[in-house]
Amino acid sequence: MFRSTLIALSLAALAGTAFAQDKPYKVVDGYKVDEFTMKGFRAWRQAACDRCHGANQEGMVGPSLINSLKTLTKEEFVKVVRDGRLDKGMQSFGNSQVVMDNIDSLYAYLKGRSDGAITRSKVEPMGQ
Amino acid sequence: MRISGHFNRPTWSRMGLALLALPTFALANADLEKHMANNKNWAAQAGDMFNQRYSTLKQINTSNVGKMQVAWTFSTGVLRGHEGSPLVIDGTMYLHTPFPNKVFAIDLDTQKIKWKYEPKQDPAVIPQMCCDTVYRGLAYAEGKVFLQQADSNLVSLDAKTGKVLWSVKNGDPKLGAVNTNAPHVFKDKVITGISGGEWGVRGFLAAYDINTGKQVWKAYSTGPDNEMLMDPEKTMTWTDGAMKPVGKDSSLKTWKGDQWKIGGGTTWGWYSYDKATNAVYYGTGNPSTWNPSQRPGDNKWSMSIFARDVDTGMAKWVYQMTPFDEWDFDGINEMILADINVKGKPTKALVHFDRNGFAYTLDRVTGALLVAEKYDPKVNWATHVDMKTGRPQVVAKYSTAQNGPDVNTKGICPAALGTKDQQPASYDPETKLFYVPTNHVCMDYEPFKVEYTAGQPYVGATLSMYPAPNSHGGMGNFITWDAGTGKIVQSKPEKFSVWSGSLNTAGGLSCYGTLEGFLKCVDKKDITKELYKFKTPSGIIGNVFTYEHKGKQYIGVFSGIGGWAGIGMAAGLEKDTDGLGAVGGYRELNQYTDLGGSLTVFALPN
Repeated sequence: MFRSTLIALSLAALAGTAFAQDKPYKVVDGYKVDEFTMKGFRAWRQAACDRCHGANQEGMVGPSLINSLKTLTKEEFVKVVRDGRLDKGMQSFGNSQVVMDNIDSLYAYLKGRSDGAITRSKVEPMGQ
Repeated sequence: MRISGHFNRPTWSRMGLALLALPTFALANADLEKHMANNKNWAAQAGDMFNQRYSTLKQINTSNVGKMQVAWTFSTGVLRGHEGSPLVIDGTMYLHTPFPNKVFAIDLDTQKIKWKYEPKQDPAVIPQMCCDTVYRGLAYAEGKVFLQQADSNLVSLDAKTGKVLWSVKNGDPKLGAVNTNAPHVFKDKVITGISGGEWGVRGFLAAYDINTGKQVWKAYSTGPDNEMLMDPEKTMTWTDGAMKPVGKDSSLKTWKGDQWKIGGGTTWGWYSYDKATNAVYYGTGNPSTWNPSQRPGDNKWSMSIFARDVDTGMAKWVYQMTPFDEWDFDGINEMILADINVKGKPTKALVHFDRNGFAYTLDRVTGALLVAEKYDPKVNWATHVDMKTGRPQVVAKYSTAQNGPDVNTKGICPAALGTKDQQPASYDPETKLFYVPTNHVCMDYEPFKVEYTAGQPYVGATLSMYPAPNSHGGMGNFITWDAGTGKIVQSKPEKFSVWSGSLNTAGGLSCYGTLEGFLKCVDKKDITKELYKFKTPSGIIGNVFTYEHKGKQYIGVFSGIGGWAGIGMAAGLEKDTDGLGAVGGYRELNQYTDLGGSLTVFALPN
């Protein structure tokens, strides 16, 4: 009885937290994220990516990142952000320190959004 | 050396002296003025130098406009937002396009393309353009066509052949200093500005010699007096109910540290000129960033109306409409010059419909503030403008600075794109009213901290825009305005923002375009009477214009959705999103229109 309760409690705890080995982000309740992922959100805001990709990453002048991150590998993502897609109107962010210094975090944040694990664009630190 | 038999030596010398005595500028002004005075032409973007957008043509009038038909059309070969309008001078039409800024000269007799000019521009410029790849149009004088390219190059083309006469770099696209404005010819100068308020570009207005392209003066919008071309003793501003000198360092004193260097105050709107005052009138844009807590102070002279001497660039007077901006209410909208009665007194007025929802009437000679009233009843971020200090009285609830960064301030009216954006209004000297295409939109605005990196966006806010609540449900109104008393006379609701420039005519008409793509003409004496309506190929953000050719009057307008309101359309809008905020409210546009790029010209049937 105690063991099954323990298992049930553990499963319940796990359900509230998306935390698997292969996910670069950690999120609780859909919008509370770890500091690493928060850095990605801040870089997203600083670089004003929303003006082309939409404040909810759903696409505008530029494509939906919810979709793009489903197929881009991490390496491809870094390349596109760094070099831009000039022919399609995306500038290169290779010279943007805030973006390149936080590129892994930015990937984590966007991957979380694309996976649907991070349920809204505006995230908050997990600690609160 | 033999001199031509027609002249003996003394006559030649007399003529030479006479020519020297004539100031050369009189010729340039005289040429453009001559073309403007001929009502068959549409010789400048506003038809005149006063920005009135009025034509004395009356062949098309209230009794027959219902029978108007499409006379001819022309595809520009470019998509994205088509702002501004073509020019018509002596039987040739000159058209421009959004990036890559092609120029066409069309012979109106044969409709053949006489010449075409397509600049080679680095596509890296495109992502530096915040709000679509628009271009507001050409200027003409003395057989030259002036093109202000997006990459900041200002180019003079021979109007007969399209050959480049001169080309000068006006800004640095690597910093985000690109151009969308139309250049304006006043006297012997081509006046142009700069964009990039969302990139921390330090705004300026510049004058180039019409013949050589040499820069004659450049006046910054922020910073030291000498770089701003301001005289602490002679440049005047409205202070405590009177015009007083601006004093030393009037800009520097209102910024923290070096923030003025990335201060904004860009100049991408429509300018006007009065040869009686010899002044060019224009407005400056938002201070950088959109996060006000990063730039405490009034941020002078962003958000200001300027009158500058066109020969020297020195500021005669200046007035700041929105000190310490917290909402992106750029002050760049057109400055309309009109001689009207203001509070019963005949006045040489300047009338300006600002993004911030207030319509201002100033004395264009002295710079005195005469009227400042809301031209949309839903404007709520300020209760009124104190007429003594000239300052708006901000409502704390809608102050994004007082609520602070990372706080979503909700329900601010108007939205950042203002009660009116760049789409220019018209003035009718017969009704003495202004015909104003407006936005009826509100917003939620959340600022946040950003760092400046040269060449990268320097924004710092996320927005959501929607139709003004508790109103007719639409996002626009076409109104008539009495600038002498500061009152809305009539208001005609529209489903979407009226984002086109209006045209008034002696035929009794006021015409404008809608974002769904309709060209509409209303009775200027009762604008609720729609007399003509036609669905053009794409949403309209261009300016309606008119001309006459071979005895027939034509009315025309570009179609091609885009610009800030249409930016969601500009590459395919899918869902309700925010971006720079514009998309959410305009999402429904995709049920009415898609991208396009063409000119439609109308006339009465034969």
